[in-house]
Amino acid sequence: MRPDVKRTGLVVALLMAITTFLWSTPFLWTLVASFRPETAGGIGMASLVPDFTPTVENFRNAFESGDFVVYYINTAIVAFGILAVQIVTISLAGYAFARLSFPGRELIFYVFLLQLMLVPPILIVPNLRTIVDLGLYGSLLGVMAPYFASAFGTFLMRQTFRQIPRDFEEAAVIDGAHWWQSLWHVLLPMAKPGLVAFSLVSLMAHWNEFLWPLMVLNEPRTHTLTIGLAMFALSTEGGREWGLLAAGTLLVMAPLLLLFAIFQRQFINSFMFSGLKG
Amino acid sequence: MRWIKSLAAAAIALTPALAPNATWAQTKIDFFFPVPVDGKLAREMTRLVKVYNDSQKEVAVTAAYTGSYDDTKLKAQAAANAGKPPAVVLMSANFVLDLKLAGDIVSLEPMLKADGTTRAKFLDDFWPAVQPNAIVDGELYAIPYQNSTPLLYYNKEHFKEAGLDPEKPPQTWAQLVDAAKKLTKPDRMGFGLPEGYDYMGWIMEALSMSNGGRYFNEEYGGEVYYDTPSMLGAAQFVEDLVFKHKVMTQGVVEGPALSTNFLAGKVSMMLLSTGSLSFVRENMKQPFGVAFVPKNVRNAVPIGGGSLVMFKGLNDEQKAAGWKFAKWLSSTENLGAWSRFTGYFSPRKSPYDTPEMKDFMAKNPEAKVALDQLPYAKPWFATYQTVAVRKALEDEIQAVLNGKKKAPQAVKDAQKSADALMKPYVDQTALKLP
Repeated sequence: MRPDVKRTGLVVALLMAITTFLWSTPFLWTLVASFRPETAGGIGMASLVPDFTPTVENFRNAFESGDFVVYYINTAIVAFGILAVQIVTISLAGYAFARLSFPGRELIFYVFLLQLMLVPPILIVPNLRTIVDLGLYGSLLGVMAPYFASAFGTFLMRQTFRQIPRDFEEAAVIDGAHWWQSLWHVLLPMAKPGLVAFSLVSLMAHWNEFLWPLMVLNEPRTHTLTIGLAMFALSTEGGREWGLLAAGTLLVMAPLLLLFAIFQRQFINSFMFSGLKG
Repeated sequence: MRWIKSLAAAAIALTPALAPNATWAQTKIDFFFPVPVDGKLAREMTRLVKVYNDSQKEVAVTAAYTGSYDDTKLKAQAAANAGKPPAVVLMSANFVLDLKLAGDIVSLEPMLKADGTTRAKFLDDFWPAVQPNAIVDGELYAIPYQNSTPLLYYNKEHFKEAGLDPEKPPQTWAQLVDAAKKLTKPDRMGFGLPEGYDYMGWIMEALSMSNGGRYFNEEYGGEVYYDTPSMLGAAQFVEDLVFKHKVMTQGVVEGPALSTNFLAGKVSMMLLSTGSLSFVRENMKQPFGVAFVPKNVRNAVPIGGGSLVMFKGLNDEQKAAGWKFAKWLSSTENLGAWSRFTGYFSPRKSPYDTPEMKDFMAKNPEAKVALDQLPYAKPWFATYQTVAVRKALEDEIQAVLNGKKKAPQAVKDAQKSADALMKPYVDQTALKLP
């Protein structure tokens, strides 16, 4: 039997390797193409094999085409700013729906969930009108404002809180804790996996968002990375400079990729040490 | 949880700085522009606007890069709806009719009158071919700004290899097929078309016009001529290039992929916009030439490109400021410089009399071919619901390219969908009888 087990293991490993390779092909190609000289249309343009002397020309051109440092700062402000406010609002709203009892709780919760059914582009005009009324048109705050409350996040936190046995809070209450103290000291630390999962989704969505920032922002000094990238990506009448496009794409995704690589262990750990299993 | 605290603190600290600036005493207006050719254009446009802002004190223009033509339309309409209409927008020239019918843009006639001029005098310096797309119902609604036509690009090296004369590019469809057959090799296609959305419709207009057709009714926004012999011939020609003559790739090839293949020597001839001239010139290693779009019945090509329009909902000062800026942007000097920078041709004739332009044309003979083709140029299709009506044809031709449909059926189906799309407008206009 043993050789068979070994062979199965080998086959599985091989299949995994192939899948991983297939999955990472676009990324590898982007990496290779971004360092390839004269990538407007050389014969080897589509090749995955780096058969050239690497050049940083594409990155230099990308940086020259737009003020990427400003775009980075703006994107970071938008993505992390939204997340910071969301974490406050979804924790409080999730707590209210999970633990407080008030008339119409279920109904309000389902109305909240209905938001998830709306396709975002439908809301562009009404949202933009609100942003103009609030005097936030053209500002980063205007990009962030509609996302300060999140139906998905509220739903996620409600479910997370409900999974935590009430015993923990009751123990805190016996010790004389207010509801906000038990939320802060007891519930939130235990809800860390939910918060981390939501943070990943939220960061990724707002880092990569294009249409809404494009609608709100006007001046180049307020532009985000995706708008900067669109300058190379949307040139339909010209040719496509693949190297420049690859370099720009890499610039946009690098910070998130690094962030994930660095904090990967913490992300996984947070799921494991939450005190609740299964 | 400490990271949450610091994040929240950072967000609160940053927000006051992000609020919009207090209003200035001067008139502030927004200018939206897309970049359909090259990222470098966004920088150049931003620089131009800065020059304008520094040159005078009454008007402060905020130049906003707004993605593709479609994104620009979406953003301009959303902003106007929300009460922040952009004063001037660089818009795809064939959206002008649609925007006028939707009531989004204003007639420029009052401004002409205030300047003491007439439409005829104002348009006198513009090429005749670019004028129809700027006029709706006998009134001026747009100023042509950057224009293009399709061109035949061909690889001279490949022509020599195949025993063809590199100085005699094909002039008719028959010659085109003949040359493409000789040029096609196992790893190389003789001919290619850009077949993605937007481009496909424009190229089909070029082919149907070269086949004697009109594509749409220039005078009335409720009619397209899809189910006609001229369009059927064009669609059949496309089908034959792939399946009968086997000189073109089966399936849909997007414009950028086509130009990449051309630069890499995988395609020997292609139809592409004059707007790509600078790009091809800078990146092509083998010698290339350009020529008129080959004809079957007559020489004819559609105009493409962008025009300046002004949105509804501006106050009088903003309107005056927008008009002043649009006139400055479309001056002889600026249109000439923009043309040399981008590869588009100038919709004005006067820039071509300047020494800078004469010098440029002498150095870049291909740019001359594009200019010589202008007398054969016709307006770009523009109808009620332009984009949807265009897609009605594009979807069908793409099905032909994929081998899923035959040309005769495709043009019939395209006509049916287009008619259904335009029905609300037709019912309100041509079929609204006393």
